[in-house]
Amino acid sequence: MEQQFTFTGKQKTFFLALMALGAICLVLTYIGDTATPHHERFWTNFLHNSVFFTGISFIGLYWLAAHTIGYSGWHIGFKRIVEAMTLFLPIGLILLLVIVAGLYGGWHHLYHWAQEGITDPTHPNYDKIIAGKSGLLNKTTYTAVTVFVLLAWAAIAYFMRRASVAEDTEGGLKNYKKLKLWAAILLPVGAFSSAFCIWLWVMSIDSHWYSTMFAWYTSASWLVSAMCILTLVILYLRSQGYMGHLNKHHLHDLGKYIFAFSIFWTYVWFSQFMLIWYANVGEETIYFKNRMDHFPVLFYGNILINFVLPFFVLIRNSTKWKAGSLTFIAVVVLFGHWIDFFQMIKPSIWAGLKHHAEHAAHDAGHHGPEIADFMMGFHFPGLLEVGTFLGFLGLFLYFVFSRLAKASLVPVNDPYLYESLNHRA
Amino acid sequence: MHHPVIAPVREPLVQGRKSYHQITEDICSPTEKVPGVAWVAGFLVSVALAVFGVVCILLTIWNGIGEWNLNRTIGWGWDITNFVWWIGIGHAGTLISAILLLFRQKWRTGVNRAAEAMTIFAVICAGLFPIIHMGRVWLAIFIFPYPNTRGPLWVNFNSPLLWDVFAISTYFTVSLLFWYTGLVPDFATVRDRATGIRKKIYATLAMGWTGAAKHWQRHESLSLVLAGLATPLVLSVHTIVSFDFATSVIPGWHTTIFPPYFVAGAIFSGFAMVLTLMIITRKVLGLEEYITVGHIESMNKIIVLTGSIVGVAYLTELFIAWYSGYVYEQFAFYNRALGPYWWAYAAMMTCNVITPQFFWSKKLRRNVAFTFVLSIFINIGMWFERFVIIVISLHRDYLPSSWSMYSPSWIEVGIFIGTIGIFFVLFLIFVRVAPVVAIAEIKHIVKGAGDQYTGHDADQKYKDFYNDVKSGKHTNGHDDHH
Repeated sequence: MEQQFTFTGKQKTFFLALMALGAICLVLTYIGDTATPHHERFWTNFLHNSVFFTGISFIGLYWLAAHTIGYSGWHIGFKRIVEAMTLFLPIGLILLLVIVAGLYGGWHHLYHWAQEGITDPTHPNYDKIIAGKSGLLNKTTYTAVTVFVLLAWAAIAYFMRRASVAEDTEGGLKNYKKLKLWAAILLPVGAFSSAFCIWLWVMSIDSHWYSTMFAWYTSASWLVSAMCILTLVILYLRSQGYMGHLNKHHLHDLGKYIFAFSIFWTYVWFSQFMLIWYANVGEETIYFKNRMDHFPVLFYGNILINFVLPFFVLIRNSTKWKAGSLTFIAVVVLFGHWIDFFQMIKPSIWAGLKHHAEHAAHDAGHHGPEIADFMMGFHFPGLLEVGTFLGFLGLFLYFVFSRLAKASLVPVNDPYLYESLNHRA
Repeated sequence: MHHPVIAPVREPLVQGRKSYHQITEDICSPTEKVPGVAWVAGFLVSVALAVFGVVCILLTIWNGIGEWNLNRTIGWGWDITNFVWWIGIGHAGTLISAILLLFRQKWRTGVNRAAEAMTIFAVICAGLFPIIHMGRVWLAIFIFPYPNTRGPLWVNFNSPLLWDVFAISTYFTVSLLFWYTGLVPDFATVRDRATGIRKKIYATLAMGWTGAAKHWQRHESLSLVLAGLATPLVLSVHTIVSFDFATSVIPGWHTTIFPPYFVAGAIFSGFAMVLTLMIITRKVLGLEEYITVGHIESMNKIIVLTGSIVGVAYLTELFIAWYSGYVYEQFAFYNRALGPYWWAYAAMMTCNVITPQFFWSKKLRRNVAFTFVLSIFINIGMWFERFVIIVISLHRDYLPSSWSMYSPSWIEVGIFIGTIGIFFVLFLIFVRVAPVVAIAEIKHIVKGAGDQYTGHDADQKYKDFYNDVKSGKHTNGHDDHH
């Protein structure tokens, strides 16, 4: 039953080429960007992709833990792929440490709350509301949460993987029980810690704005993305002659997952939007007002690509397990959720720049760059953004594949393995 | 032989090495015997409570809402608290029928029938409250947007209260159809064993079911369609109930996390009520081999999961209230925790967030008596949650001159107690007239989940079968038959 994946030179070259492309795009974005004062296009791209892929890795771990706790049998046939996805977390930590370093070095102006004097009533930058939040919104907390939480997730991912691989040689139920224990620890820890991370990494870009739904909404987005990547990796491995032990019911269930959680994402998206729109409290509506007035393509496109499309494509029975339709929808929806994170970050930064530029125009002596009403890389992802995305994707997949090659693709001694191999709808 | 491959580490869901005939015997017999003393006593008490509640309702209708202690600041009190509490309780049934079906949780078959029945009865109790809250109940018909002689006077389509009308009536209809559809083959089973007038009644209820292949095929298609309809209903009903609050600008009500958090809370309270009822029912009707300790453990896991989701939501609200920098929101939460109704908030936090954490322990999850006590705690805690949200948020709003306090009149308490009576009257009738566990569905899973087929005590030939599958001697085919 053992199945060994070989990470071929060709695959390595391909992923390295993607990474090179991403690196070139990042450099070009950094040096070529004259439209924004502090290389905002570069830094938002870096943050966007780091958060997106780190989140996918984390939610993969969460998914794995939930299935472990829930006595799931069907996923055992491909759980090694999810495990490999979770092992990206240390890289996610390194990526976010770059953001942290930038926070201290003053390299970027992603977070308005990180500005000098923002909590000092005598300083011209003083902001009363941000001062009230400074217990959370400060560099030390940002760093501490990022480092400790990602280390904790990465550690749990490592321990779960170690127990899973040890099971291959040791057999018995010892490691199965260990996996359950780690999974039980991760579920509550992950639920709280991921909320703090997303508040700090993304929600705090709009330093005044708040929404209690935000963490659940982003987690739903991560989850759909993770399911898409998982499905694509499985389909690719099958095309390479691996994963022959999976049958169409596994694929069908993955299709159902993408379908169901696309609807769930829409549900939380709509709930958040509708409640803010309906109550019409200015402090909250400004978030959507900015997006609807200045970013209509992103705002409405988000719903089309992440709800309408998967809903109508996947509502049929056969499209949920046929490789062609599944590949198509997984690619589109993965990109769609990347767009979702794009529209969480970019419009906020643009609005800040615009606001700042208008103020500067009023004050004699200050001349920042003019902020246009349409800026490539903010109002719409340009080629540089797509290239950067491909670079990060290459990095992510390189790690996934290299970890896949380190253990059997089939967890041969998992107590539920034979259920998974005989999975029926 | 086509036999499902089930890992031996799974706990069997049907104990006692049941044959098909024994399953029929065990589950049908309560409907065929004269009720015992416990049932009669329970029924009489329930009827008495229901009658008391009806008297209170009549007094309210006769004299008006002035019979309640609502005031100009607190316009919603026990009435809406009870409404939301009952609606929430109904959610376990829909979750078990729809979501657990999609997730192939086979243990659902032990409790789905009773949970679905509970849903219907709970919705009946819930529906009472908004109707009597209207004051002039004879005008209740006005909530329906039918073509009418009222001229341009239409219902307010912008109001979440109207969405409630649609959501709850759809919910009730679909739940009822779903429940009845599942009952048809079981009614036929009861009919085939009955004689005389009972046979006539069950023959009518079974709608001519003969168990023909065509019948099963139609039954499966209909069940699938209804499950498809019920799935969004699990989310939509309590989502819209949460909209009743969250669309407003009242601090403590207006928060975006409400929809999924209400749904999780509803499932939480629903499972608590299923446990309360089923722990008694399985004992009284002798169904311990169908609703096993394993079933109770699974439900307790749902309890710890949904209880923790609710806990995350409470703390998120609390934290974001501080984070928002919005003084009214900050005050609303300060007042919740430390204001004059602090005891309600403390009761809610204790019962809903702290006590379910005991279920991290496997030993306690499998302790039936402990589970029963804890389920009561949760029933109480979830009632307090709604009281906290409704009354505490209302009693001190933006304008300190209109701050007020509220405690219910005996009539309000009486109506609540009355709905508990109505609920139990209906449930007790149900356990007498219908199979409490879905016979056909248990028979469907017994080959994979009976203790003679799987688990450590399985018969040797089934252990051999599993080992054959393991060693590759028996290939169970892949895409060849679907």
